[in-house]
Amino acid sequence: MLTVENLQKSFGGVQATRDVSLAFPAGSLTAIIGPNGAGKTTFFNLISGQIRPDAGRVVFDGEDVVGRSSLEMVRRGMARAFQVASLFPSLTVREALTAAVTAHQRRSWSLLARFPLGQSRARVEELLELLGLGAKAELVSSSLSHGDQKLLDIGLALAMDPKVLLLDEPTAGMGPDERWRMIEKVHHLWQAKSLTMIFIEHDMDIVFKYAQAVHVLKYGAVLAQGTPAEIRRNQDVIDAYLGTDHHLAEGAA
Amino acid sequence: MNLDVLAGCVATASCFVTQVSTGLIVGMLLFLVASGLSLIFGVLGVVNFAHGVFYMLGAYFAFAAYEATGSFVLALLAGAAGAGLVGIVFERFFMSRVYGKDLLMQLLVCYAAILICDDLVKIVFGADYKLMGMPEAFATAPVEVLGGFIPGYYIFMVGMALGIGAVLWLGINRTRLGKIIRALAINPQMVGALGINTRLLYAGVFGMGCVLAGTAGALAAPVRTLTPGMGLSVLIESFIVTVIGGMGSIPGALVAAILIGLTRAFGAIGFPLFTDGLMFALMGLVLILRPSGLLGARTA
Amino acid sequence: MRAGLMRDLGLGLIGLVLLLALPALFPHPSLRDFLIYVIAYGLLAMSLNLLVGLTGLVSFGHAAYFASGAYVFGLLMQGGAVSIPVAMLAAVGGTALLALVIGAICVRLKEIYFSFITLAFQMFIHSIILTWVDLTGGDQGLRGGIPRPPFLGIDLGDAGTLYAFCAVVFVACLLVMRQVWQSPFGYTLRMIRDNPARANFLGVDVVRMKLGVFVLAGTMASVAGIIMALFVSGAFPEFGFWTTSGEAIFMIMLGGTQVFLGPVIGAFLLQLLNHYVTIWTHHHGLVLGIVILAIVLGLRRGVADYAMAWLADRRAAAAPPATPAKAAAPAETKAAG
Repeated sequence: MLTVENLQKSFGGVQATRDVSLAFPAGSLTAIIGPNGAGKTTFFNLISGQIRPDAGRVVFDGEDVVGRSSLEMVRRGMARAFQVASLFPSLTVREALTAAVTAHQRRSWSLLARFPLGQSRARVEELLELLGLGAKAELVSSSLSHGDQKLLDIGLALAMDPKVLLLDEPTAGMGPDERWRMIEKVHHLWQAKSLTMIFIEHDMDIVFKYAQAVHVLKYGAVLAQGTPAEIRRNQDVIDAYLGTDHHLAEGAA
Repeated sequence: MNLDVLAGCVATASCFVTQVSTGLIVGMLLFLVASGLSLIFGVLGVVNFAHGVFYMLGAYFAFAAYEATGSFVLALLAGAAGAGLVGIVFERFFMSRVYGKDLLMQLLVCYAAILICDDLVKIVFGADYKLMGMPEAFATAPVEVLGGFIPGYYIFMVGMALGIGAVLWLGINRTRLGKIIRALAINPQMVGALGINTRLLYAGVFGMGCVLAGTAGALAAPVRTLTPGMGLSVLIESFIVTVIGGMGSIPGALVAAILIGLTRAFGAIGFPLFTDGLMFALMGLVLILRPSGLLGARTA
Repeated sequence: MRAGLMRDLGLGLIGLVLLLALPALFPHPSLRDFLIYVIAYGLLAMSLNLLVGLTGLVSFGHAAYFASGAYVFGLLMQGGAVSIPVAMLAAVGGTALLALVIGAICVRLKEIYFSFITLAFQMFIHSIILTWVDLTGGDQGLRGGIPRPPFLGIDLGDAGTLYAFCAVVFVACLLVMRQVWQSPFGYTLRMIRDNPARANFLGVDVVRMKLGVFVLAGTMASVAGIIMALFVSGAFPEFGFWTTSGEAIFMIMLGGTQVFLGPVIGAFLLQLLNHYVTIWTHHHGLVLGIVILAIVLGLRRGVADYAMAWLADRRAAAAPPATPAKAAAPAETKAAG
């Protein structure tokens, strides 16, 4: 579904992405991990068209898409949610989802009809159901709890009916219980929509429990890749994490 | 359009010198006002749409002090300090309440300040034109340069403005206080965490910006007629200067102010009706090609 | 959503009847003049609010299109070759083209830079009007009156007919803008207002959408300019001066940006304020300034926005706590920002 080859990017002499080559097969659920400053978000920005790589290829759905705008990448089926939920504060949950679905249906320019369009209704109901936000549909986005905001952010991305969904730390800023509920939901979405999903995550327990494959980045380069079991045993990864956090080592024991 | 006259003037040394000197003093006044505007925007991130008010207040305070004491030095000080004080009051009681609010709220507060201050000046000083007259120290024969005549006061004004600009630039770039102010522009929380009273600092910077505008008004008083709405055209032009030079850049303001001053001086001969149009065209061009201005940081 | 459309049409009709009835019930010419000013400036402010309130684009140069509508219409009518409806269409079309060209450059800039470049274009156009004396009459404006030959049996030379015509055009434009406000297009603009970067990541072509609404707003402003030109039988450079834009912004803020009719309410309040303040005192600016400060620092939003939020609060307090806050309330009652 998505492969990147020899991706390079530097910002003013600082190499943020070094020769990254990774593959994400259709329908896979992959975690990207790495210490702070490993270039994980930059990697997302590179593949989603927000910034242009200095060199390398991004092959999405069989086509080289380097240099395509983020707008075009969305239209081709790559959607993303953000580390800090990126919402429309004054719109209600239903309005926001409807507007997103309408954009996906290429009816944003529709001037003569009234909002919401009939053709978007079923899809919005489905999304509300899927997210479990049905009871909060009429609340203004900015009044939602932190977790619901993250969920709505993912819902907006899902409204694009994506082939690939990028989630930047879906559990960021949550307490332990909330984390697990969130990741359960994300996992459920992945199964229900048979998506190719890539998520950045810090919590190793979550990563090892849910991801099919784990890619480890460090200083912008690929440190290791493999199944959760392989990554747990990988000495490089253990070394990289031991300096900052021995959570991984404990988890492996 | 009178482009022949313009060409004739540029070709004649005396006319050229006269126009350049006129352009330079217009530019210097604009530079002072615009650098205040730029300072406030650079540090506080707000556009002081009421900046022309402080130029006007500076001129009227100087006028009043000169009438009362006959001392031009005291007049200058009164203009600068008076505008600064009003600026601090305006910042503390009104402007600071709309920081972080949308642009329109700030615009409206400033608009209200313009309306109120213009009317107050009208009530105190009257609606008619006021002339301060040239201080005696400068009532000397103009200096002759290449057949053109430059009044001594013009030279004094240019010197003052450049001096103030230099002190300002050094103050911001070479002193500890300047360092704190620059840090304030980038990361106010950090400065606050260092135990520095940021609110006081904000008021101080705002007041400093107003002192600059007030100084310009006081310097302009001997060579301009004073009217209650005099701040407006200066405000508009200093906006153009700030945008062209780059919001937040003092050297940028200097370059752009001289550019606009000269455009004004020579435009008045060649195309008096279209001078405004040309200035706005320049501003538009800069915004299209380099939105952050000629010398602004490239962040916009 | 046929129901919403029918409701708006019904309300439009009631509004029109009210507008037509008022001068008939109170036959003072000054009331009619007052109302035409409210109509022309209200329409200008409403059109600007498509940018400010709906899309989050603060234009400082909206009067350019007001002036363009007035001048093109006035010049065509003075030329004597076309009828009023044709001249109106040409003025609207010409302004749309102007807004397209200017907008294509402006909408790429963000925030305060957008505001400044729209101001620059407006002042540039104002300078052209001042400089091109042969065509525009320079600072004297289009003199000699704008002829109003009868068309389709309508004689706008008659003051009553002119008023009725302006009222009909006004209500029609309001209905058009209401449709924009309630359409998928309008909701996409709200996305852009709230979070343009996110809208882009949801497949919205932000730049094009902004350009679209910019042209639309310019077009509506040109209609306001035409009404003004018809009413004063001339066109003046002040139509395109920054003070006119400033006044429109002020009307929006006074009335409110998030309630559809807020700007018209603002135009009405401002005209009323101007009218009475000039009667009571010479210190017009002082009073107006204090009123503005009271609204900005006291209410912290426009009068209509404030009233709507207050009503919504009361309704929420009165309703049983279990129901979600705004199930049936119209979408624009939420005060944004």
